[in-house]
Amino acid sequence: MSSGFNNPDKHMSVQDLAALIPDGASVALGGSFLHRGPFSFVRELVRQGKKDLEIIKQSPGYDIDLLCRAGVATRARTGIVALEGNFGLAPHYRKAIETGRLKLEEHACATLTAGLRAAAYGIPFQPCAGIHGSELTEINGWQKLDDPYGKGDPVWVIPAIQPDFAVIQANEVDSRGNVRVLGTSHWDRIMSRAAKRVLVVAERVVDTAVFEAQPEVTLVPYFLVQAYAVVPNGAWPGSCWPHYEIDYPAIEQYLEPGEQALQAHLDAAPEAKQEQTV
Amino acid sequence: MSATWSPFSYIVTNLARFIRPNEITFSGVNSTMPMLACLMAKKAYDWDFIYINVAGGVDPRPSKVPISSSDPVLAEHSASIFANEDFYDLCCRGRMDLTFLGAAQIDGEGNANNSCIGDWHQPKVRLPGGGGGAVMLPTARRACTWRTEHSPRTFVEQLHFRTSWGGFHGVVTPIAVFVKKNGRLALGSWHPESSLEEVRARTGFEFDHSDAGPTPLPTERERQALAELDPDGEFERDAAVTLR
Repeated sequence: MSSGFNNPDKHMSVQDLAALIPDGASVALGGSFLHRGPFSFVRELVRQGKKDLEIIKQSPGYDIDLLCRAGVATRARTGIVALEGNFGLAPHYRKAIETGRLKLEEHACATLTAGLRAAAYGIPFQPCAGIHGSELTEINGWQKLDDPYGKGDPVWVIPAIQPDFAVIQANEVDSRGNVRVLGTSHWDRIMSRAAKRVLVVAERVVDTAVFEAQPEVTLVPYFLVQAYAVVPNGAWPGSCWPHYEIDYPAIEQYLEPGEQALQAHLDAAPEAKQEQTV
Repeated sequence: MSATWSPFSYIVTNLARFIRPNEITFSGVNSTMPMLACLMAKKAYDWDFIYINVAGGVDPRPSKVPISSSDPVLAEHSASIFANEDFYDLCCRGRMDLTFLGAAQIDGEGNANNSCIGDWHQPKVRLPGGGGGAVMLPTARRACTWRTEHSPRTFVEQLHFRTSWGGFHGVVTPIAVFVKKNGRLALGSWHPESSLEEVRARTGFEFDHSDAGPTPLPTERERQALAELDPDGEFERDAAVTLR
């Protein structure tokens, strides 16, 4: 069996893409706060009633809030969680932790990155600067090692974090599953290297010639990508630069309490309106 | 100059005053006021500095000021993208001159709690979490923070949880500016409409105030710069900061 994904049948609906995630899986989500997150995919996890997922992301917000609200996520490794802008804390995430329904492994963004780097580098742990004096070291049972070369100070080491899946919201894919991201890549690159497999939701498909003309813009090569879906506006209600900005009224609507408001939000999403075609 | 200096302007202006010429200065997520301070310093001062931000921007010229301080417009006209791993690594290797970091609770040494109110395992309030602080506060050359609530529950003798250690260089509130001195937060100055007595009454830890006096009023250029960034007062309204 190959270590890469060379299959020709990568293009599928976002429904089929979400169906690849088994209950209990660990899922790293790309983007940051309300920006370029794979939110159509996250909503699809909710619609399919997934259970016991572990969410890995340095700076989640709407995504983890929604997954907590729907009872899909039970474990999380995060750095900072908020809805940002004028919305402040993520209310359903907060409540899930305060009531014990979400088990949190609290990180600094850089320690979570260190854990992902360990997985990407093929080593059991990764040193990370800073952290000294933080009680996060005690909560997480992190260890400190002496410099074996006797040159520097002792350094904290973070155990490897290998997500089962990394799910990336991309600007463009080609038919083989090469991935382009415009603007900042946030944490997507290290997530894509650390995870066992990458799933992609893209705004659009472009010709492979576009990728070949500027290969250095490609964030993830096709052979790391198991499958992709195309959902225009899929990062809604967040932004996907340079295509569209945050839809603040939609987030206000999402934050209204109750099942009905949640359902109305899910029904208003672009993937809910999209025909199920591939 | 009007008789009153709004607490919103007070915080943004005093954050901007921590920025120094030519230094690498960073503003991150959930940081509207530091973002405004960086954009303000670019307009209000004669000197330049190297502004990087969490949207990957390097000295950007955003077409508008975004509500979200991580908005991609903060990378408009940037000639490079300096992404998340880049700015963390820069800080870790000791080359971040100034970073702005949020804090829910701050103690007398300038350490921060961003994690929880109450016990970590069974929190009364779950806060956003470790974020940048735990790694950036001890590794940045200077880190500054702001708090819109100045009270004994935000400025505490004992943090409910020490998320980040290392001590802020500067802290700005609606009524005061603290600056690190001999490993402790010392009062640098107070809002001209406040007083040493008020700062003391609203601070849960003891502090040195031997160098403190009223904060110098904003210069015309500082006022002008902020007015340009927030012409309709929208950011000021959203921030809803009060003196008392």
